[in-house]
Amino acid sequence: MSRPDGLSDDAPVLTAHRAGLVGCRSCGRVWPEGTDLCGRCGARLSQPDRRSLQAVWAWWLAGLIFYIPANLWPMLRTQSFLGLAGNTEATILGGVIDLVHYGNYGIAAIVFVASIVVPIGKFIVIAWLARVAGKPASIEAAHTRLRALEAVEFIGRWSMIDVFVVAILSALVQLGFVASIHPGPAAVSFALSVAFTMLSALSFDPRLIWRGLPLRTRRDRTAE
Amino acid sequence: MTDTPPTDDTSRADAGAATLRPASPVRRTAARAARASVSVIWAVPIIALLVTMALAWNAYTGRGTLVSVAFNDATGITPGETELRFREIPVGRVEAVRFTHDLQRVIVDMRVDKDIAAFIDDDAEFWIVRPEVSAQGISRLDTVLTGAFIEGWWDNEPGTTELAVHQGLDRAPLTRSNERGTWVRLAATDASGMSEGAPIFYRGLQVGRMQDLRLAEGEESVIADVFIEAPHDQRLTTTTVFWDISGFSVSLGTQGISLNVNSVSSLVQGGAEFATLSSGGQPVQAGHVFQLQPDRQAAENSLFAASPQDELRLTMLMTDAVRGLTEGADVQFQGLTVGRVTGLSVRVGEQAGEVLQDITLAISPQRMGLPEDAGPEDALAFLDQAVADGLRARVTGAGFFGTSLMVELVDIPDAPAARIVTDARPYPIIPSAPPDLSDISTTAQGFMARIGNLKLEELLKSATDMMNSVTAIASSQDTRAIPESLRRTIDEANVTMTELRTATQELRASGVVENVAGATASANELAGKLNDVADRLPQIADNLETATTSIRDVDFGAIGASIQQALADIRGVLGSDAARNLPGRLGEAMDRLGSAAADIGAIAGDLREGGIAERVTAFMDEASAAATAVSEAAADVPEMVAEVEEAAIAVEEFDFAGISASAQGLIEDLRAMLGTEDAEQLPRNLSDTLQAASALLNDLREGGAAGNLNAALQSARRAADQIAQAASTLPNLSLRFQQLAARAEAVIGAYGDRGAFNTETINTMRSLRRAAEAFGSLASTIERNPRAFILGR
Repeated sequence: MSRPDGLSDDAPVLTAHRAGLVGCRSCGRVWPEGTDLCGRCGARLSQPDRRSLQAVWAWWLAGLIFYIPANLWPMLRTQSFLGLAGNTEATILGGVIDLVHYGNYGIAAIVFVASIVVPIGKFIVIAWLARVAGKPASIEAAHTRLRALEAVEFIGRWSMIDVFVVAILSALVQLGFVASIHPGPAAVSFALSVAFTMLSALSFDPRLIWRGLPLRTRRDRTAE
Repeated sequence: MTDTPPTDDTSRADAGAATLRPASPVRRTAARAARASVSVIWAVPIIALLVTMALAWNAYTGRGTLVSVAFNDATGITPGETELRFREIPVGRVEAVRFTHDLQRVIVDMRVDKDIAAFIDDDAEFWIVRPEVSAQGISRLDTVLTGAFIEGWWDNEPGTTELAVHQGLDRAPLTRSNERGTWVRLAATDASGMSEGAPIFYRGLQVGRMQDLRLAEGEESVIADVFIEAPHDQRLTTTTVFWDISGFSVSLGTQGISLNVNSVSSLVQGGAEFATLSSGGQPVQAGHVFQLQPDRQAAENSLFAASPQDELRLTMLMTDAVRGLTEGADVQFQGLTVGRVTGLSVRVGEQAGEVLQDITLAISPQRMGLPEDAGPEDALAFLDQAVADGLRARVTGAGFFGTSLMVELVDIPDAPAARIVTDARPYPIIPSAPPDLSDISTTAQGFMARIGNLKLEELLKSATDMMNSVTAIASSQDTRAIPESLRRTIDEANVTMTELRTATQELRASGVVENVAGATASANELAGKLNDVADRLPQIADNLETATTSIRDVDFGAIGASIQQALADIRGVLGSDAARNLPGRLGEAMDRLGSAAADIGAIAGDLREGGIAERVTAFMDEASAAATAVSEAAADVPEMVAEVEEAAIAVEEFDFAGISASAQGLIEDLRAMLGTEDAEQLPRNLSDTLQAASALLNDLREGGAAGNLNAALQSARRAADQIAQAASTLPNLSLRFQQLAARAEAVIGAYGDRGAFNTETINTMRSLRRAAEAFGSLASTIERNPRAFILGR
């Protein structure tokens, strides 16, 4: 990622693209336009254009599709006394509500945030980023977008906490006769949904954030 | 630096096409490329969508058919958890529970697997399975942990249902709807021994169950549906009988006490057994009504009883209150049980204050000998005719001691004319006769009355009369004139009395009537001989008269001395010890007769005490022996008479001519003697003597003694007849006592080592021990494997 150094807000931002260079998304080295492969890491070089947003949108959509059954289907299937005492199937939201009923507000909040707020926030943020990518923006706006993207990328892996919990519980709570926990169909959906949103976030080319900056400086200048 | 960028920028902007161109074509190209070749990455959401949609579609189509079942309550049913099971395999799940519109029932909505739901048609049955503790054991213990579930049953024919809501059963049906077998109905007077699910046995094997107990409409009975599984239902015919085996039965019968205990569960739950005891019945149709009999005995008795609807109902009104008649008592006709008493009540009669006992009889036409297809009307017509001929219903004693009662249809020959009131309600009224209650006490009473009616007093009176006559004879002066041979007779009578007494002790054999007849014949013979004697006495008198005439012809003087001597002899005879002892001997004879009478009295006392038959027989023997002895004695009488005759003839043949010569000397003496007072007294003495003799002869001719003896013997014969009559009833009584003894012996025997009672008791104890062992093994199993207990495995 090339970043303009030592430039004030008023100064025109020189991006690598504008400088006729293309940055390597793998190692960050810039190469002159027209170079196909990164000479340092051997990664394929690509122009930062909105074409790559198709992948973002595609992954995003797949994640969203899987997010719906992940919330509708049961996440956990608890079987106690070999099903004699009844099987409990809990969806994500149902689990949260159960936790609230049991008075575990903290855990309820964690589960709620991790399983509902974060994924939905991710969808919104990625959709927003993909929507505004390459659109004119101020430097602050560009920085906001960048932070949002970093946050999404950072937080994305933690969204899998639900899946991990289910996996750990399924592995640990196999007490045979007394109780056993099995992952429900929602666990797979949720994992897929998280994975797709992570891929979606990864597919987003952050260089597009900076693509809109020149227009802003031009507007600033014309305002002067 | 500030300028440069604008310059640069301007140059770019101005140059536009030149400087910025490289970017634009790239972007346009990229956009075009994006539009032109929709990236393969779009396959990902499409696949995701397809997968999700497929899953959703799969879930939607596979979620099953909604089946709604209405129950009275929904105990233990939890939406989302309670399962619907078919043959213990979950095939659905309760989705919702709601009320009917009127809040009277609960509707349970269930999602049933599609492939199974196709089989649920109108005949499908649903019931809630809960843990159940019953007399037959604890079942479905597993549902304590799992909670109740709904079980369904349907046949293997796919069908459609128009029912929006199926009707659930309150309890599990006894039989699967597709189970093969026959449904019949069982009718009983009350529900004792019947209960829901009670088993039906055939030869001790459970082959069916009863259910749905209910009161019969308009009839005084209880009806239960009974399902007999195939192939055992082939055992059912129209002659099959059912009887109650609930509880245990103790019966005192001719075989002693028998105790019957079937099984513990039948003790609590009841049950019935059936058997086809007679061939020739037709196979039954479903719904055939059988009568449940109280026990096997009654069932066997009711073998030919038709089903209740074919029975003739009659009402019998009794003015006398009869205690002891119970419902179910037999109705007998010609000694056969043709029906039973089905109801007892009280009815107010037409006259004021009259209370009648109303007895309802149910009579089987077939058992009365009417054709197989005869109905109640035929039986009524038959009975009506019979009643016109004198048939009456009568309550009479039955059973061993006559303690239980039954109704008897019996011909009363002199009964007043009556007809069956055929239009009476509810049932025709059959005229009744006064009850004939003869139980053992009345029998004994009758026996004692007969003993009391024995003409003992008359017998004693006759004996006394006889004694009086004898005394009169003995005390009369004439007796003194009885010659020596009479004394011998009395001696022989004494011997006879002695023999009679010894015979009393010796002879104890039967053959009463013959002996009595013999005695009577002997007595007759005796009387005849005595009559002969009496007939010959005039001849003797004639002889004596001739003798007297001869004597008269004789010279008194010559024979006076001889006569005097004869008279002296006669006086000597009369004054002799023998003659003097005669009254004493008579007295002795009287005493012996008195003791004989006392013996008779003692015998009568013994008779009253009951050791009767032998003694009466013995008595008869003794009487017969006595009579024989008397007749033997009587045989001597002609001999005696012959002697008297001989004496007379001897007197007649007396050589008076020879005497006269020798007498002449005497006459001279007599002359001298005649001059004395003695001589004057002699003719008077002679005439006195002759007078007494003739009076005696007269008495004898008039048959006073013989008549008295005849009367005495007649009395004795009457007494003997009466005793014989009484004795003729004795064999029955003794037979009864013998039977009673035998039964008592059997009863006591039954308690012995191998008695039925003991065997039953031992069997019961063995069953209990087995039950205890089973419990023990169950307990140890649970100890070893508690899980199995919880799981019900």
